[in-house]
Amino acid sequence: MNRTKASSVIALSAVAVLGLSACGGGTTGNNNGDTGATGGAATAGGDLLYLTKRPAEHLDPQRMYIGRDIFTTGRTVYRSLFQFPAGEKDATKAQTPIPDIATEVPTSSDGKTWTVTLKEGVKWQDGKDVVCEDFKYGVSRAFAYDVLDGGPFQYPTQYLDIPKDKDGSPAYKGPYSKKGQALFDKAVTCKGNEITYKFNKPWGDFPLAVAGLRVFDPYREDQDKGAKNNFVIFSNGPYKLDGTWTKGKGGKFVRNDQYDPKTDEGTRQANPDTITFEEGVDESIITDRIVAGAGNDANAITDRVVRPPSYSKVEPLKDQTTLVDSPYVFYLVPNMSRVKDVNVRKALATATDNEGWVGALGGDKAAVAATSIINPSLPGFQENPIFSKIPAAGDPAAAKKILTDAGVKMPYPIKLTYQGGDPTLDKAMGVIKEGWDKAGFKTSLDPLTETYYDIVNKPNNDSDVFQGGWGSDYPSAATVIPLLFDSRQLSASQVGNNYGQYKNKAVDQAIDKAALITDPIKAGEAYSAIDKTISEDYGYIPNYIQRFYFIRGKNVTGYEQTEATSMFADLGTVGVK
Amino acid sequence: MYAYVIRRLFSGLVMLIVMSFATFLMFFNGAVDPVRYTCGKACGVPGVLERNRAMLGYDDPVPVQYAKFVKGVFVGRDFPDDPALRKSAPETIARCDAPCLGYSPKENSTVTSMLAERAPISASLAVAAFIMWIAFGVGGGIVAALYKGRWPDKLIVGTALIFYAFPTFFIGLFLYKFVAIKWELTPQPVYTAFTEDPVAWAMGLFLPGLTLALFYIAGYIRLTRSYVIEAASEDYLRTAKAKGLDKRTILWKHTMRSALTPLITLAALDFAGLLGGAIITETVFNYQGLGKLAVDAATTWDLPVTVGIVLTLSTIVILANIIVDVLYAVIDPRVKLA
Amino acid sequence: MIGRAHHAPSSTVALDAPRDESALLRVEGLKVHFPTEDGLVKAVDGLSYTVPAGRTLGIVGESGSGKSVSSQAIMGLHRGSRAQVSGNIFFDSTDLLQIGDEQLRRMRGRDIAMVFQDPLSALHPYYTVGNQIMEAYRVHHNVSKSAARTRTIEMLDRVGIPNPDKRIDQYPHEFSGGMRQRAMIAMALINDPRLIIADEPTTALDVTVQAQILELLVGLQEEFGSSIIIITHDLGVVAEMAHEILVMYGGKAVERGSADEVFYTPGHPYTWGLLSSMPRMDRARLERLRPIAGNPPSLINPPSGCAFHPRCPFMDEAKYHCVSQVPVFNPELPHPVRCAIPEGERHVIFEQKVKPSL
Repeated sequence: MNRTKASSVIALSAVAVLGLSACGGGTTGNNNGDTGATGGAATAGGDLLYLTKRPAEHLDPQRMYIGRDIFTTGRTVYRSLFQFPAGEKDATKAQTPIPDIATEVPTSSDGKTWTVTLKEGVKWQDGKDVVCEDFKYGVSRAFAYDVLDGGPFQYPTQYLDIPKDKDGSPAYKGPYSKKGQALFDKAVTCKGNEITYKFNKPWGDFPLAVAGLRVFDPYREDQDKGAKNNFVIFSNGPYKLDGTWTKGKGGKFVRNDQYDPKTDEGTRQANPDTITFEEGVDESIITDRIVAGAGNDANAITDRVVRPPSYSKVEPLKDQTTLVDSPYVFYLVPNMSRVKDVNVRKALATATDNEGWVGALGGDKAAVAATSIINPSLPGFQENPIFSKIPAAGDPAAAKKILTDAGVKMPYPIKLTYQGGDPTLDKAMGVIKEGWDKAGFKTSLDPLTETYYDIVNKPNNDSDVFQGGWGSDYPSAATVIPLLFDSRQLSASQVGNNYGQYKNKAVDQAIDKAALITDPIKAGEAYSAIDKTISEDYGYIPNYIQRFYFIRGKNVTGYEQTEATSMFADLGTVGVK
Repeated sequence: MYAYVIRRLFSGLVMLIVMSFATFLMFFNGAVDPVRYTCGKACGVPGVLERNRAMLGYDDPVPVQYAKFVKGVFVGRDFPDDPALRKSAPETIARCDAPCLGYSPKENSTVTSMLAERAPISASLAVAAFIMWIAFGVGGGIVAALYKGRWPDKLIVGTALIFYAFPTFFIGLFLYKFVAIKWELTPQPVYTAFTEDPVAWAMGLFLPGLTLALFYIAGYIRLTRSYVIEAASEDYLRTAKAKGLDKRTILWKHTMRSALTPLITLAALDFAGLLGGAIITETVFNYQGLGKLAVDAATTWDLPVTVGIVLTLSTIVILANIIVDVLYAVIDPRVKLA
Repeated sequence: MIGRAHHAPSSTVALDAPRDESALLRVEGLKVHFPTEDGLVKAVDGLSYTVPAGRTLGIVGESGSGKSVSSQAIMGLHRGSRAQVSGNIFFDSTDLLQIGDEQLRRMRGRDIAMVFQDPLSALHPYYTVGNQIMEAYRVHHNVSKSAARTRTIEMLDRVGIPNPDKRIDQYPHEFSGGMRQRAMIAMALINDPRLIIADEPTTALDVTVQAQILELLVGLQEEFGSSIIIITHDLGVVAEMAHEILVMYGGKAVERGSADEVFYTPGHPYTWGLLSSMPRMDRARLERLRPIAGNPPSLINPPSGCAFHPRCPFMDEAKYHCVSQVPVFNPELPHPVRCAIPEGERHVIFEQKVKPSL
């Protein structure tokens, strides 16, 4: 489940995708802290403090696209049809949707028509029932490009069976203008407490998308004020917002007396009486405050990793720290329109010193070398046979031989463009340059700041290699490989997310085929096969998986980090002493 | 004098118009596409950039956008300004009353209400810092001047230099992490509105105020010291001594009057600058003041907020300069405004 | 702060002036030395003179001759600085170099007052003229503000400032140069001091105003009976009002005599130089003044022998040992001159070579 915008992924060099990997329960190889549910059994009561630097971008469910926000609200104020189970140690199970407001997770014979039955007795914070029409209205908002932006609207707008206008946009223009409303009313229908979604092509991932995003959440039409509701929470979960939310400062959740735990299958324990979100706090201050643990800081959790300068301070507090692989993979992409010789790309990949990069980031508490752009925690993941053969520290000698055999002129000039402004990344790029130069390249580093994405998106730019980071939108490689390597997103003016302008018809076709597979494991395997094809082209070079080294207050109990919440602390289980 | 002030206000107004238009021009003519900051990961989805551009009105020519902005200042605006939407879903339209400086969809708020919300925070911080820096800076400078060349002088100037040598964010982090968190000598610096709890307001402002003050203290110690020393060597101080005045009168009436007069104007301008927000301090202590707003707006390319901040800061600076000039005319009888 | 003045016992001091126990002011062997990084600056190096009550002494010399420094020493204005002051300064029978700071402070402005060269810089720009004069009065007289104001208006009127009741509330910059100096004089006289030290009181003023100010000083002296020390580089100024003239060069006295003596029978080649560089009404207007060639002597390493010898047109080492011997200054004489050339020869030189061109 993804959740971070690509730009932020890199800028923060720290957050994002879906992690499965080892940590399913605490068995990750190099854990220094413990990893499982910890702090003892949680009991009800107390005030939880959630410290973070990064403000929530949207609290409007349809507009959310950041993993942390999706799961903090999903465990507290927003319920959906399906959700991921809390406290599940098994990665596959943790990423398998279970019913929430739905009575069960249905199947679809053709993958195109999905009918879901709603539970009785689920109420909004004003006591009204959550009804089918609320779900229908919620997803209709994804079409309102005239009023709303920011969310993963592409899923409902591309899949729901609604005709397209000439410009490719859906003929339905959302609930505000109501243009094309009849078309939408055909695609999403309510019959009593049964809602039916009709898609224009099979979408086996639908339950995953519902559980991993908030774009299919219900929304109350009579509460809708469009974009003005960006920080408004109208709850149907165990908590509700007390007063207002202030961006950059945060807000406070208190218990919602209209919530009936009997309608909720044990996912939301809702232990603390209140949850206070404090935004905008510097990372090192967060660490220091939790270490000192004065007052309410002893009840604190955070989504911010401990930074290398604070490692020594945090290490003694083993029972307050966790170290897990995050869902976010970082990688380099050769510009296929410039570096056309596959041997040159192979030599780049072979000479890449990921071990040195990880070292520059702070060692195994910060990251672990990656061998695929698909996070190993995703269902159906298969080891990448190409990149797993290259030593993590790279092999410049072998790379030099590849270049020599290919008969290219050395030193081969390479312009490496990345998002600068972060000294750690500058250091890491120095390491990469060193390995490449040893292999016979002449690397020039090109750190860009605000202009990075504008430059990268120019199809005719003169960079040879870019740097990127990605996390899946929901737990499926379907939200990795197609988004990053489908050549059909390339146009004369834009490259979309395909920065390397990778074009391979076979891959495009395989992507279309994989999209039809409804079994998550089989689909994952299909995407891993496509990954292998792309790797044979050296269409990208995997670098590292970011790790989450988190600290929590000494009074925190029931602390869990699983794939169900993208390895962020699970607010469904946490409590305070 | 009134004519002078009116003339200055008028030229200030012209300056504001030029600056706001320049901000628009720079915003849309840089290498960066501001729309890219509105969609994050979704930017890669075909069509999203164009749609967001249209929604924000960034696809209009700059002069048209500027004209809309100016219109908003006088008669207010609707966001989005879409007549069809006004009919079908009026509740989604955000009304920004005159004087409307814009509406930030990102912040979900009109620029004027954001400014109004954050200005008191920056102002509180400025007041706290001002009190401390004047007390320590001017006081220290006077003591240093009186003991010129002797140990109190060296101690004061040396200590001030040490603080001056460290960057503000370092001082801020140090105070925050050690004084507030580790040693728990002060409560955690959290902003509380004065109207809510004056004591908590003052307590919360202590560390950030000190951080900010330390930046100015060193400068004011050195300035005050040199002004006092310079004033003490003036001929009229010799006259005062020759009259038989006692030391206290010479120091406080004659020396300080001339030494502190230039400081008053300087301090007034520095204070005015702080009213516009202290970027580093507000960031370190997570005070949601104008400085933090400015950084956030600049780093997320939020045009309405950026323009609003530019105008606010410019207005503060222009007004402060006028006030200081008038003030100077009042405290220095030699100055005539014309 | 305690001054660093050094006080040498008076008995060791060689006197430049005849003892006149009745004099109001008696300066004996005054030395004012300033330690600097380059060495000890001997700004005043053994100066003696007396000022009888009701009389006017003119001290004449170039910049750096020590004339201002010596008069500031009388007021104790060097106290609290690095200056080393020694010798004796008797005012009545009080040695101003020996008394405490507080005692001296009470005498300043009350017994001895000063008029400074540049009245613009000598007046505080931020206070009204009246405020500053009233302050000078009230520091020595325990009177109400309104009494001080009345007295100040009276003094302003007395020094010839028109509309004193209005001018009293004006700031120094609103006064003309001459009016400012009148105000300074009013400030100096308001406590009816027995000694007024006027340090270049007219230098910064227009020529026409200069004469008015000098006239004013003379008139006031007659009225109040104060003694005056008038310090100037311009012999013309002292010619108007001094009874006695002391010529200083390089921190030392080089000639002393009555005004007539110094004007009509000047004895020192330096005095001759001063006289010939003086503009005179009877001299052809376009004729150039003849300034004294050369520069003032170093006060750290003064020239050997006669300090004036490098600039003296009549210097003759072979005949007079100008370079090797310091000429003596015999204070017992009525008109002592510090020159190596015997008096008779000097007289001849003056009559034949100098006087005709004056």
